[in-house]
Amino acid sequence: MIVEKIFNKWILVFLFLIPVLGFIFEEPYYITLTTKVVILGIAGIGLNLALGYCGLISFGHAAFFGLGGYVTGILSFHALNSELMFSWPFVSSGSSDMLVIWPIVILSSAFLALIIGLLSLRTTGVYFIMITLAFAQMLYFFAISWPNYGGEDGLSIYMRNSLPIINTMDPLTFYFICLCWLLIVIFISAKLINSSFGMAFQAIKQNEERVKSVGIETFKVKLLVFVISGTITGLAGSLYTDLNRFISPSVLNWQMSGEIMVFVILGGIARLYGPLVGAAFFIVLEQTLGGYTENWQFWLGLILILEILYVRTGILSLFEKKLKYEK
Amino acid sequence: MKNKILNIKNLSKSYGAFKVTDEITIDLHFDEIHALIGPNGAGKSTLIKQIVGSVKHDIGSIILDQEDITDLTDVERAKIGISRTFQVSSIIPQFSAIDNIVLSLLDKSSKTFQMFKSVRNNKELYSNANKILNEIELFEKSDISACDLSHGDRRKLEVGLALAMDPKVFLFDEPMAGLDESGTNMMINLFKKIKSNSPILLIEHDMDAVFALADRVSVINYGKIVATGTVDEIRKNELVRDVYLGYEI
Repeated sequence: MIVEKIFNKWILVFLFLIPVLGFIFEEPYYITLTTKVVILGIAGIGLNLALGYCGLISFGHAAFFGLGGYVTGILSFHALNSELMFSWPFVSSGSSDMLVIWPIVILSSAFLALIIGLLSLRTTGVYFIMITLAFAQMLYFFAISWPNYGGEDGLSIYMRNSLPIINTMDPLTFYFICLCWLLIVIFISAKLINSSFGMAFQAIKQNEERVKSVGIETFKVKLLVFVISGTITGLAGSLYTDLNRFISPSVLNWQMSGEIMVFVILGGIARLYGPLVGAAFFIVLEQTLGGYTENWQFWLGLILILEILYVRTGILSLFEKKLKYEK
Repeated sequence: MKNKILNIKNLSKSYGAFKVTDEITIDLHFDEIHALIGPNGAGKSTLIKQIVGSVKHDIGSIILDQEDITDLTDVERAKIGISRTFQVSSIIPQFSAIDNIVLSLLDKSSKTFQMFKSVRNNKELYSNANKILNEIELFEKSDISACDLSHGDRRKLEVGLALAMDPKVFLFDEPMAGLDESGTNMMINLFKKIKSNSPILLIEHDMDAVFALADRVSVINYGKIVATGTVDEIRKNELVRDVYLGYEI
């Protein structure tokens, strides 16, 4: 564990250094790439709470990622075009202020997760996987058939949403905004995992019947974990829209759910920094192998197969094993 | 009725044409250990599952401390004071022994939904958990993962999880299965000690332990209670000898 903790600290050092070096050497591409790693890492950390720590294999987290993205896109679209969004119960023309957008994204993602959780957590196993997938696909097809906001072509927002005083259009500044969110999400997740509540949801993953028998309301615990997990992933979706200044239905598709799941599995299930490492690994592969072949995912699949066969608990577990060997 | 803490009336459960429990009426008095014995497949464990609510019964009623709990869920029954052990050890395998006990203490101390305080810094919870580990003679192994404990130690941990809930009644399903002599003696002494606070409905195949512990014994066969009485009455009962005990005891 100690080696893994040192490695985790190095991850944060790299996350600080790479964009700064990108800025110094005038390579904004690396800043954007690292921003993407951070945002997708946040989405993965969200899913990891449900999947890794509580055993809820959600195949529908794209719903939250996409909802966060669309809420951000729609609010911003109306604000930038000075178009009325709705006039009842109050008049609103959207907002391009991140301080307004983030709370709305958090509340709407939490609400969606509550609705999906209330229905899907009545099932387990493969039924839970299928019902979460079905919800995400429903939203995907809804977004495709919603011409007001671009339909299949997606929605461009031209200008990144703003914060008071800070220039969010500057890539390095926006990167540090995302990094702050990552640190907040890691902090909250670490607190949750080490709390009594965390003890309860980690126990549910291992033996739910036993947890019920000691009087713990497992449904409530799982629902709350699912809501927190969905909210974090929704926030990542919001940042992703701001990064690209574009949102399309593809982020609601099952492939997005699969990608977030791959981040978790690659980095290490039930490891706090695992999804971040997984997202970084995924993007490095995409950028390097993608330069040689369009079918780079073939190699990703091969790596996943080898990992599941020989490492199982993710890249980070390699460092834990090393410690045991050293002992 | 006043001296009964648990009163089960006409509890039945069928899977198709097969009646697992057939109009079972049984009760548990304050301060007593009531043993439930019978051949394998007689319906003992299914009865426990119906009492805790993990298996839904077809007809019948369950009264706990003068409160009808028939329609409560398994979690609600656990909350109001039914604590059980499982026939096959059911613990949290990757938690240490002490964390297993702490988990069992969470609901009673209203800490389940405490989100931002480290559970390991809660000295009160861990001190209470240590006391329980001491009682079940697992104090020395408190930091060992439950999956690395021996079979006997897992059985003890099962009982520890039940103790931690400080319930109104205990339902113990073969708690001494696979224990060595010292483990069995430890359990016997422990059960004698705790029964005054929380009476015990005990399923056990170790007849020496049953006869050493039980204030009353009920015998179940093909889902029906065929006899209830004191240890001596049961020992002498011809029907019980026929269906379960044999003639060497």
